[in-house]
Amino acid sequence: MLKSLRKLTGILCVLLLLSGCWSSTEIEDLALYLGLSLDAGKPAPKEKDLERKGARYPKQDKLLVTIQVVPAVGVASNEDKSLEKSSPFFNISGSGDSILQIFRQFSIRLDRPIIGHHLKVIVISADLLKKQSAEQLTDFLLRDNDIRPSCIVLVSEGEAMDVLVGTPNKEIPAVSLIGMSRNRSRTSKVMRPVTLARLDAMIHSRKSFVLQRLITAGKETLFSGAEIIKGSIGQSIGSLGEDDTMCLTWLRGEGDRGVIKVNDSKGEPLVFEMKSLKSKITPHVEGEEISFDVKITTTGRIIETWSKGDTSTTQEYADEASKIFEEELIRMMTQLIHKLQDTYAADVAGFGDQLAIKYPSVWKKVKDDWDERFSQSKISISYKLSITDFGSFSEKK
Amino acid sequence: MSSLKSFIPSWHIWVLAVVAFLVPFLLSKIFARVHAYVKSGGTFKSASARTSVLSPDSSSAAATPFDGDYAADVRSVMDVIGKNSDLTVREFPLSRFDAKGTLFYVNGMQRERELNMRTLEFFMFEATREMLASPPNVKGLLPFYNLKESADVREFSRLVLFGYAGLIIEGVPCGLLIQSPNTSNRAIVEPLSEALLRGPRIGFTEVLSENTSMLRRQGFSDQLEMKSYIIGNTLPKEVVIAYFKDIVNADLLKEVEARISNINIDFLADSGYIEQLIEDNYLSPFQQLQNTERPDRVINGLLEGRVAILQDGSPFALIAPATFSMLLQSPEDYYERWIPSSFLRILRFFAAFLSLLAPSIYISFISFHPGLIPTELVLSIIETRQGVPFPSLIEVLVLELSIEILREAGIRLPKPIGPAMGIVGGIIVGDAAVQAGIVSPILVIVVAVTAISSFSMPSYSAGITLRLLRFFGMVFAAILGMFGTILFFLLLCSHLSRLKSFGVSYLTPVSPYRLQDWKDLFIRAPISLMKKRPAMMKTRQERRQT
Repeated sequence: MLKSLRKLTGILCVLLLLSGCWSSTEIEDLALYLGLSLDAGKPAPKEKDLERKGARYPKQDKLLVTIQVVPAVGVASNEDKSLEKSSPFFNISGSGDSILQIFRQFSIRLDRPIIGHHLKVIVISADLLKKQSAEQLTDFLLRDNDIRPSCIVLVSEGEAMDVLVGTPNKEIPAVSLIGMSRNRSRTSKVMRPVTLARLDAMIHSRKSFVLQRLITAGKETLFSGAEIIKGSIGQSIGSLGEDDTMCLTWLRGEGDRGVIKVNDSKGEPLVFEMKSLKSKITPHVEGEEISFDVKITTTGRIIETWSKGDTSTTQEYADEASKIFEEELIRMMTQLIHKLQDTYAADVAGFGDQLAIKYPSVWKKVKDDWDERFSQSKISISYKLSITDFGSFSEKK
Repeated sequence: MSSLKSFIPSWHIWVLAVVAFLVPFLLSKIFARVHAYVKSGGTFKSASARTSVLSPDSSSAAATPFDGDYAADVRSVMDVIGKNSDLTVREFPLSRFDAKGTLFYVNGMQRERELNMRTLEFFMFEATREMLASPPNVKGLLPFYNLKESADVREFSRLVLFGYAGLIIEGVPCGLLIQSPNTSNRAIVEPLSEALLRGPRIGFTEVLSENTSMLRRQGFSDQLEMKSYIIGNTLPKEVVIAYFKDIVNADLLKEVEARISNINIDFLADSGYIEQLIEDNYLSPFQQLQNTERPDRVINGLLEGRVAILQDGSPFALIAPATFSMLLQSPEDYYERWIPSSFLRILRFFAAFLSLLAPSIYISFISFHPGLIPTELVLSIIETRQGVPFPSLIEVLVLELSIEILREAGIRLPKPIGPAMGIVGGIIVGDAAVQAGIVSPILVIVVAVTAISSFSMPSYSAGITLRLLRFFGMVFAAILGMFGTILFFLLLCSHLSRLKSFGVSYLTPVSPYRLQDWKDLFIRAPISLMKKRPAMMKTRQERRQT
């Protein structure tokens, strides 16, 4: 008995060692991609040469996928050799018809398998979004188990792969994009980031929505404006400018930061820094007529003025100044509403949500062609802007 | 019929089912066999309790009584022990009446000056025949505080060699033991293994009578009872069971007494022997008796309804039964105010978790789940691990083993070298290993945190247990990742919840669930709230008498 026991133990030990480490891969043997960009299809620059030499498989080049792989250490990359030494990352692009197929194609070009656990940013080019629906483009990204639903989705004006180029010796572009999206505490031009999970929800509700837009020039990228995705087709129909985006964020109650600059009576700049903002949308239904009352209450301070000797701290001065700012705010808001209702006919400000909450039965009837109904409904906005302080300065005698 | 057939699973499901049944079944069989094997080798059926060797009736089988003839008695004693070189034999006349006496003692076990000045002087010049008349009177008339009579030569000889001063006097038909041993003892010092900042600084010593007196001195009570056992076949030793007779559970006491009296061993070198001989489960890595050097800890255990076992020659008392929560409790928890003590106790639980699982978690993260590490950290880990040639398990084992060796070496090193060795080993070797690219710097942090955490265990034995289990956890993690780590933890939990110490579940009050006792588990509730004794001990008195 004891002998057979000993034998059994021996066999068990050997089996245990044989099995080794199931599905384990050391972390340094993996390539993480932090950024992913989707462009309209055309062979990537390096790919052309490869294809000419015969590295081909049947495809129609609907899509150009670029991933940003970190770290670049010890990787024989196909990309620019001069970048490789100093840069902590490298980008690799491939074209094809399916994202996964392109990813697998990367496996014959890279020495390490790519994993998507740490994907932070997805950048889609506006051109591609005008051709393909967001649903088609993000289908794989949502199905894949590695990719987190918390990665944010951005739209780039022009080539999306340019966004990921970045400057050598600087921060990884994907990481700096994430950092930039956190600047909402300073300006409402940066919208609340749309994560993959939120994007999924919005796509499936067939409502129109906006995605933050990026503009790249040279090697610099900035958050500028927003791209409007029409719910019914899921494609991009146009974009909003920076001020419109800021107003949209305010209107949706998702941000209360930003500055309003006006020229005062002397023609000198006068700047209002927003400290708080509340926006309340109240829907009204009268028969077939749907209308909205919006109440915007904001406070802030006068933070900068170029007028000489204009250091009055009286209430009258505050009232007078706030009137000027209010006018500017009204102008900006009216411009935004005009764009939403007339130019694009897309409700991206959440009017429909308020209607659905207040009048669910009405919403059920109108939701299928809501964007059209929205463009016809009447929106009246009331403003209340007050100046609470003037900052600090030394009194002139 | 054919539709019924489609519900019968295919053959590989049957194979899996059989395997799923056989593996745990065979494992439990194997463990049962191993346990039975160890037990049969450990304890035998014989050995009844011998209450005291000092009482006259406990004569051994080969008893040779004194026959009353002085010369013959001295000769027979000399026959037994006369060859010992450290034995001093002094014959002297009793001058008040014409008789002779012989004094036996072992060098170094008596205060010789006292023996000469007082005892010999008394016998040689003052003792009268009346004083030494017939046996019933001997005790009453001799001016010795610690006088014993021995009727048996062998026993007399044995006690003389143990340190008593023995006396044989002409005309007295038995041996007299006049002074108990007085050997040089270690001073009472602060307990080494359980030093505290606040609280009593007294620690047990190797002398049983001192230890029991320390317990007695904790307070006035007539309920603290101590029972003495003599254990050891070749070299018997005294073992004492202490308990409060109005508190302790009768069944528990009976069980402890039974197990103690069943011990069959040559010689008890330390109370660790007793612990291993009476514990419930030989195969468990967890200690099932609490050992302590602190009288205050023992007395607190007794007041909770536990039983203490003290052994002559060991400064470690055992407290039975022990539960898991005791391993992480320090007496200081009760001496400091309850808020900081609760904080420290929770911290200790956290440290225990770290010292058990930190390397496993590191391995599972590095080798299996890179997605669970924050991105920035992943990047820096990858960079630091670039040159590391080993998989994470080997990497961790290299460093963990070297730190264990270092610790083991640190115990043996003489005091002046110890700290220097720690610095050389810890800092220089660690740094050099990183420089050489054998391990990654993150791992050095993990291992250091693990090592420090394991030092925060109030009980040294519990610390060893966690250190040992850590390695099993690492193997699990290396094979199955986080899943393996969780599996390991669950295995440990199921073992612990099955483990019993003297009939008390090891995990009480967590399982079985006793909410009342949670007051003294993760937190230490204010003392005024803890009016009842622990429910798990099923004491005779439920309430502490306040």
